[in-house]
Amino acid sequence: MHKLFFLLFLLFAAMIASFKFSLDEKIYGHLDVDDWTVEESLIKLGDSAYLHHIENLDPQKAAMGKELVFNGFTSHNGKKSKRISSYFVCTDCHNTQREFGLESGLGITHSQDDDPQKRLNYAIKNDLPFLPGSTLWGIYNRTSFYNGDYRKKYAGLVDKAKDHLSEAIQVCSKYCSSGRDLEEWEIEAIMHYFKSEELKIKDLKLGPNQKKNLLKYQKLDDAEKKGLITSIEAEYFQSYPANFLYTMPADNRGYGKNGNWENGKEIFERSCLHCHDEKRVTYLGLDSSKLTGKFFLKYMKSYKDQSLYQIIRWGTYAKRGRRQYMPQYSKEKMSDKQIEDLIAYMQKISKK
Amino acid sequence: MMKKIKYIIFTVLFIGHSFGQDVQETFNSTRIINGHSVETLKARILQFRVEHRFGDFAGTNGGIQNMFGFDNAADVRFAFEYGLSDKLMIGFGRSKGSGTPYRSLLDGFVKYKLLTQNKEKGIPVSLSLIETASLTYMTASMDESQVAFFPEFVHRLAYSSQLNIARKFGERLSLAIMPTYVHRNYVDMDDQNGVFAIGSAFALRLSKEFSISTEYYHAFHQDGLRPNHKNSFGVAFEWLTNGHNFKINFTNSKGFGETQFIPCTYSNWLDGEFRIGFSITRDFKI
Repeated sequence: MHKLFFLLFLLFAAMIASFKFSLDEKIYGHLDVDDWTVEESLIKLGDSAYLHHIENLDPQKAAMGKELVFNGFTSHNGKKSKRISSYFVCTDCHNTQREFGLESGLGITHSQDDDPQKRLNYAIKNDLPFLPGSTLWGIYNRTSFYNGDYRKKYAGLVDKAKDHLSEAIQVCSKYCSSGRDLEEWEIEAIMHYFKSEELKIKDLKLGPNQKKNLLKYQKLDDAEKKGLITSIEAEYFQSYPANFLYTMPADNRGYGKNGNWENGKEIFERSCLHCHDEKRVTYLGLDSSKLTGKFFLKYMKSYKDQSLYQIIRWGTYAKRGRRQYMPQYSKEKMSDKQIEDLIAYMQKISKK
Repeated sequence: MMKKIKYIIFTVLFIGHSFGQDVQETFNSTRIINGHSVETLKARILQFRVEHRFGDFAGTNGGIQNMFGFDNAADVRFAFEYGLSDKLMIGFGRSKGSGTPYRSLLDGFVKYKLLTQNKEKGIPVSLSLIETASLTYMTASMDESQVAFFPEFVHRLAYSSQLNIARKFGERLSLAIMPTYVHRNYVDMDDQNGVFAIGSAFALRLSKEFSISTEYYHAFHQDGLRPNHKNSFGVAFEWLTNGHNFKINFTNSKGFGETQFIPCTYSNWLDGEFRIGFSITRDFKI
């Protein structure tokens, strides 16, 4: 009798527990949807798949793609593949990690001038380089490439690439990295790498209600689905805006007077030295020495390449015999205020 | 025994691999004036190098009549040099040869940076090992008393080994000491095959783009031998731009490479027998 009673009690306890569990799931939802990919969620809500949609991830290809992105070569059919570019690898200009904190939201509109500063602060906090290219993190979920003034810069070259990721990879490899046309398998490998790093719902700043709605997506009507798609898409960059600025006129330059040198130091180390340290990418080696400081200050008032006001906004171009060039920083990637900070730092080290 | 050798080679190779705050640009290029500096080319950099030495500036063969030496070319060298890794480089060159005594020279060298000065790791100096060989393919002289008689092919060869020790003091000043051993397979009666020399040099960087340097090699030999030999001395002015290096120098040496300018310098500064020279380098990343 005692045994039977005990058994019944156990059954009852199990029922209570399972009820509580399903209640939890109903309330919080995130247990399931957090691991949904963003693309999968959008498709469930009735959106169409990306043009570059990949159905099944091939981890082996993704691993090869990762090597291509980081090193420019990988091993293919047991042999070391030909370097994509003699001059650059993807990570010289692009980070592969998140560049904005989840707390600040990803759907940042670049209307405010302090946005590059937000990106820099995040880079400092997470020890990331501060680069002219947009991050490759979440690039699988982007639908527009070479935006804004990049479309002017590359003109006809980006006709096909502007809304197709694999075409964009091709343009980047051939022109932006002064390299060559990628082979089919290389594009596929890189695409699989990007797919392996695609955004998931947990990477976005979605509210519990939105997650709950997503979980019961089958029960939503069309308007609700559309609304949810909009709110999901607002949480990450579909495309990165890019506005190129002119070189600041000599009369408007502050020459570091009101600049914050500590911020400038971070920019110097996370931007300039990313390529110029020990002449890693370029022939011009820079360090935080007095000579480097004096070198830049000497040209500060000019419109030559050696002037930081000039070089940051215009960069240089690939020339015959010198295909490595410096890409420019758009308004979204470095602010005029940050250039002043950088020059304040040059003033600081030149007086060491 | 094999294991021991392997171990030694392994340690020597890896001593040079350092991380952290390595001192950069102890010298601006891979040469100081005539001789090597401690620097090596970065990996995958191909450097094209043109070097030129004009005729005597003053003295009996110089002066206004031949525009202070510009009418003559004492020696000309074209070379391709390449960085196999950030520490190891090789180079091949062809030079006209100064004619005292060799002409038509081919040379090759291997240079390995064993140590890089690094304060954090307590490495006080940068250290490179340079092994050079040169071969002259000039027509052999018919006169047995000449050094260019070359009874056998191997007599056309000469070698040098150099340990290049350099230290950068602060941002501007670099000093170097270069113990060097040169061996020529065939020499004159009053000469010796092996010559030991100690080189010294300094470079002063006046700005990021401009520096001056001097270099002096003192050669040692037995008393009574090599009576006409002079020690090599040079002064240079150097301009650096993005991927280019342009250097104008004044030196009493005519030939290029350790096997030439250390044992075969016969011009005397004090007699006006120094020359203007230049070297231009262009880097290509491949």
